Amino acid sequence: MNDRIRESDSREQTIVEQTPEPEILSLWDRYGEAVVALGLIVMGTVVLLEVREIRVPRALTQVGPRVFPSIIGWGLIVVGLWYAVDVLRGRRAAPSDDSEDADPSLPADWSTLIGLGIALIAYAALMEPAGFIIASAVMFLLAALSMGSRQYVRDVIVCVVVSTVVYYVFTEWLGIRLPEGLLGPILP
Amino acid sequence: MDAFGNLADGFGVALTPENLLWALVGVFLGTFVGVLPGIGPAMTVALLLPVTYSLEPIQAFIMFAGIYYGGMYGGSTTSILLNTPGESGSIVTALEGNKMAKRGRGGAALATAAIGSFVAGTIATLGLTFFAPIMADLALHFGPAEYLALIVLAFTTITALLGSSLVRGVASLFFGITVGLVGIDALTGQPRFTFGNAHLLEGIDVVAVAVGLFAVGETLWVASRMRHGNQHIEPIRGSLWMTKSDWRRSWKPWLRGTAVGFPIGALPAGGAEIPTFLSYSMEKKLTDHPDEFGKGAIEGVAGPEAANNASAAGVLVPLLTLGLPTSATAAIILAAFQRYNIQPGPQLFDRNPDLVWGLIASLYIGNLMLLVLNLPLVGLWVRILTIPRPLLYGGILVFAGLGAWAQSGSVTGLVVLYIIGIIGYMMRRFDIPVGPAVVGAILGPIAETHFRRAMQISQGDETVFFTRPLSASILAVALLLFLGPLIWTWVQRNRAAGTGEHPA
Repeated sequence: MNDRIRESDSREQTIVEQTPEPEILSLWDRYGEAVVALGLIVMGTVVLLEVREIRVPRALTQVGPRVFPSIIGWGLIVVGLWYAVDVLRGRRAAPSDDSEDADPSLPADWSTLIGLGIALIAYAALMEPAGFIIASAVMFLLAALSMGSRQYVRDVIVCVVVSTVVYYVFTEWLGIRLPEGLLGPILP
Repeated sequence: MDAFGNLADGFGVALTPENLLWALVGVFLGTFVGVLPGIGPAMTVALLLPVTYSLEPIQAFIMFAGIYYGGMYGGSTTSILLNTPGESGSIVTALEGNKMAKRGRGGAALATAAIGSFVAGTIATLGLTFFAPIMADLALHFGPAEYLALIVLAFTTITALLGSSLVRGVASLFFGITVGLVGIDALTGQPRFTFGNAHLLEGIDVVAVAVGLFAVGETLWVASRMRHGNQHIEPIRGSLWMTKSDWRRSWKPWLRGTAVGFPIGALPAGGAEIPTFLSYSMEKKLTDHPDEFGKGAIEGVAGPEAANNASAAGVLVPLLTLGLPTSATAAIILAAFQRYNIQPGPQLFDRNPDLVWGLIASLYIGNLMLLVLNLPLVGLWVRILTIPRPLLYGGILVFAGLGAWAQSGSVTGLVVLYIIGIIGYMMRRFDIPVGPAVVGAILGPIAETHFRRAMQISQGDETVFFTRPLSASILAVALLLFLGPLIWTWVQRNRAAGTGEHPA
């Protein structure tokens, strides 16, 4: 029996040598997903620690406000461990290719992502002081530029017009309050 | 209960000129956003929710009915012309529909999808009309233990039956439930997991979770791996009208798709993916043209599209009668109800008959409007597909931020949205399904309430969930569904290992 296993092992090895893996996997490709597992465990730990901060009213009878969160906290840790085992056993998830706009075989384009990050931070930072129209137009334009749009005139026009129209439709017709900011004096 | 009388009252509500206008606006906006590439029905509904914020509940839900069905129609148009299924429910439509468009039969594909959706939507809405009151009567006998068991069942099916891997589905679900923990405890009024931030006392809005995971996450994902250059959109060649043979080959799949879609959608464990795949494999087996499957067979569009729309109506049965959402889209609709302090459930039909029956009547009206609007406007929808991607995704970010601001009115809302968006990007990267997180975020707090009520009634005896026959049997079904796939893969692996031991 042992012999046979060894035999098949060696045979497998020769086969592997003859047809090398076509894709070369870095450590990150192989085990990067463990970050997700770790994240779940950390999340569970935070939940269990924070549960102690919840005050339990004394008059309460059966189940207090701590019980359910504790169950979920332990659940997160168990799922995280389960996930970690799954990743370490070499089961990798390939991102599904269901968007015609994205090519999952490409490496992440970090310059675009950083550009989008700056655009989104600018949005949050400008919203109250500068108002919705300016914040949206700036964010929209920065986002479009970082995603590779190079028709500057068209982009500026689209971003300003869309932001202004959206502001009017939502504040005038739909009764939603959006910050007017710097443009306050000239907006009706 | 007299369904006809109630429905007539519902039409009385829905057929006023003002409400018809809201339905029309909803249908149009729903289709418009649904057509945008990469945006599925769930994202459509989540992004358009702010539009309804200041309306009266009845108007809001009439508009919502239109958005819901419009988003579904729009999604199928995109799948056929661009091969970009926005949501898993339309994957099958893209399979055959896009091939048909490539062979110059795009017009017929769009027509059979539109008419099939109308037929299925109408029959399934009829099913909803008659089945929902019966279900609501039944549900009156459910106690908190049964509700908790049903929620566990919904959690199980949404994680175990969908997606590529069980652990990833469960991870997504637990993430969602954790997000749902934030805020004031409903029963004792104690703040939980707010980290001292007053803006978090109200909790994290489910719509922000959905918009963050779907819209912001998807945008980050696409931007990080964008295919530059022109998109290939299949031009619509040939007539928009179906030939006699198209009709002959379509009507049976429409009805079969409806027959599969509505009951599965109406189960408290439904979803849209299973019926569409079932319908596809069924049509593949029953067709007289097996050679055409995989190359653009009209049955492969007609059946799954019908199943998809029928299950969309079916999903409203557990949502309206039990308050139980079984898809991400339904979870967002439930969040919309909660904004108006309306809790769907058996009492909804007694307390808010105008609203429920107005909503159901609007589903019929919206369906008809879509049939009339869609085919003539197809030229407009095609033009939407040519929006340059940087502007499209930039615009999605504007709307996502607008929604978060309208809901929270604070920068905290935007920051929460961004954090959830980054998590959404990670989930996309590692193929973790997003739906369970959205459903978990809204059902988590409801599950906790039922859990604590049941324990209160049983005076702290946790066996109550297993001793009441109904809740015990629901939990047994959930356990079977959870373990079934695990056992199946284990058996498969053993079988594979068994053959591996005997090298030929």
